[in-house]
Amino acid sequence: MAENVVVLGSAAWVFVALALIGGVLAVTLPNILHAIFSLALSLVGVALLFLALGSPFVAAMQVLIYVGGISVAMVFAVMFAFALREGPAGAARRRRGLAGAAALGVFAALGPVIARASWSPHVTHNDWTVAAVGRALLQHYNVVFEALSVVLLVAIVGAIIVARREPPQ
Amino acid sequence: MTLQTLLLVALALFCIGLYGVLSRRHLVGVLVGLELMLNAASLNLLAFSRAGMGDAVTGQVIVLFIIGLAAAEVALALSIIVALYRRRRSVDIDRLRELRG
Repeated sequence: MAENVVVLGSAAWVFVALALIGGVLAVTLPNILHAIFSLALSLVGVALLFLALGSPFVAAMQVLIYVGGISVAMVFAVMFAFALREGPAGAARRRRGLAGAAALGVFAALGPVIARASWSPHVTHNDWTVAAVGRALLQHYNVVFEALSVVLLVAIVGAIIVARREPPQ
Repeated sequence: MTLQTLLLVALALFCIGLYGVLSRRHLVGVLVGLELMLNAASLNLLAFSRAGMGDAVTGQVIVLFIIGLAAAEVALALSIIVALYRRRRSVDIDRLRELRG
């Protein structure tokens, strides 16, 4: 099996630990605000992995949009509106057991496949500069780029319409 | 770190997110799990791109698209959750079961 080394150095293991520990905390902490902060920690870990994979632009976008935008929007929504804790634990134990079994099942099903499969790289010309990403975005993927901007506009207008208060009759 | 190792890390992240989606009762908690699953997919794409399974820009561009779509998804989901909370005073998924079959 060919060894496809994609990340050099042992610092990447720190990033992996950051992403996984943040993820585990994000799904287990009972306080929903703490869970969102843990999610931000995990997202920073993944962004550092992107950086280690050689894509500083995607890492910067991940931090700016995910950590700076999405997490903060979640914190705002939670602090404006909701109870911070989940309701009284009723069938929580059984649900957690089922959820854990499903997650472990997916891992057990896909893990051996990943470990056994062998991939052979076939791309020889690789340009990892930001300029190449910009050219691809505005030339080859231009239609997707524009469609995504329309999707974002529609989503924001839709979010405002859904979340605004109904006017008094 | 080899491609296989990174794919296994992404799979672990995906399964953690799946556990969150299935076990949370708070709707925002479900959203947190969903974001973890999306991030695992992004990590896979960039790892494949780095290992030479696709060309360099394709992986990066698709990850950017995923981030943009996630932003739209979270904006809509949060507004729906806020509207639900205003009407029902609850974001517990066990109390929102009118449409259950």
